[in-house]
Amino acid sequence: MKIVGLESLVFGVDDIGGAARFLVDYGLTPVELSDRGGRFEAMDGTAVVIARQDDPALPPGPVPGCRLRKTVMGVADEATLGAIAAELRRDREVRRLPDGSIESIDDAGFVLGFQLTARRPFVLAGEISNAPGGVVFRPVNSLGVPPPGSVIRPRSLSHVVYFVPDVVKAEAFYVNRLGFRCTDRFTGTGPFLQPGGSLDHHTHFLIGAPPHMHGVEHFTFHFGGPSEMITNGYRFVEKGYQAFWGPGRHILGSNWFWYFNSPFGCHIEMDADMDQHDASWRPREATASADNSQTFLLKMRKKWYPGPGIPENGDYA
Amino acid sequence: MATTRDGAPPGWVRLCRSDEIGEAQSRGFDPGDEGQDRLFVVRWQGQLHAWRNACPHVQGAPMAWRRDAYLNAAGTRIVCHAHGAEFMPDSGLCVQGPCRGERLSPIALVVDADGELFVKS
Ligand code: FES
Ligand SMILES: [Fe+2]
Repeated sequence: MKIVGLESLVFGVDDIGGAARFLVDYGLTPVELSDRGGRFEAMDGTAVVIARQDDPALPPGPVPGCRLRKTVMGVADEATLGAIAAELRRDREVRRLPDGSIESIDDAGFVLGFQLTARRPFVLAGEISNAPGGVVFRPVNSLGVPPPGSVIRPRSLSHVVYFVPDVVKAEAFYVNRLGFRCTDRFTGTGPFLQPGGSLDHHTHFLIGAPPHMHGVEHFTFHFGGPSEMITNGYRFVEKGYQAFWGPGRHILGSNWFWYFNSPFGCHIEMDADMDQHDASWRPREATASADNSQTFLLKMRKKWYPGPGIPENGDYA
Repeated sequence: MATTRDGAPPGWVRLCRSDEIGEAQSRGFDPGDEGQDRLFVVRWQGQLHAWRNACPHVQGAPMAWRRDAYLNAAGTRIVCHAHGAEFMPDSGLCVQGPCRGERLSPIALVVDADGELFVKS
């Protein structure tokens, strides 16, 4: 099944204005914004959609209190859409919506949508490192650090992470029914999952958790590279948003990460430079711990050389 | 309590004027200049309450989503914006979410005769 990845995530919120500002400050572009909600797009058109939490058009979340109301995946062709509908109709309701998409539910209670992907292809070089002996270099006189005031935009909706009460059952649904592959696994926690039409290390990560945690841990968009992503994160912090973990780099997936609190009842992440894998990849297995999930964690030092207003020996606090 | 406007009695630290925090509003404070709010104060049904900015779900996790934004839109619940846990503003009891039944850590506060707000340091 050629599922190419996430197309959009739909949230019900109690403060449209606050959530809208948050998403714009994160870097997304608002389209169709009103006091009832809006759509906020990355460069390829993948998006976060928000609506009022009491909007009757929203499907229910998996549990009360979960603000994610629908996860929409993109598929490459009508044949895949038909195959998904036929597969899921074997044991559950599949609705065909007026826009041609289909809607159903996974085994953990998350409402799913599937549509022909509307991702807009674009070509824009990602971050390039200059290395002696390397083959690909940044153009001469171009800068590695995004200059102040430069526009930084998320490129594409990357992945979503669910807390699920029965991780074995939840994984079996994505693998056996929708053709996802496990790329790596945290023992006793859950799998990183890749759909058939993507090379990304993961578009989904499942975490087995007690029923009262059922919901979403985080979601994230890919940025053009670590320098761009971390610059964007510092700008976000300066605007008053609350960082949670990062910036750092994961081991499984190699993606750079920075997590923030959000008005969506879950974390939002910024990520960059995720590994890609094909069917020849052999999944690894690791125990979940901070040490096994961050290869390094960066800390900003405000003052690092002696100077005006700084102790003679610098400030290494 | 005996104090001057700019001085706090030993063991207490001045945060702000108490009337700067209106009904159903919250505000974070970083009295030790640690770079992150150590505590926050909410006003709920007229009363001020101070809580450590540390969610019982993940030890020490900061709770606001934006500076001073510790409440839901209606101002009826404290919300941890990491995974959405909801707490009663007056008792600190978690009533929905991953740490249901657990409590926020209270911080003693006092308003002096001049309306200045102090917390135990
Ligand atoms: S850290 Fe507060 S809800 Fe998870
Ligand atoms: Fe992630």
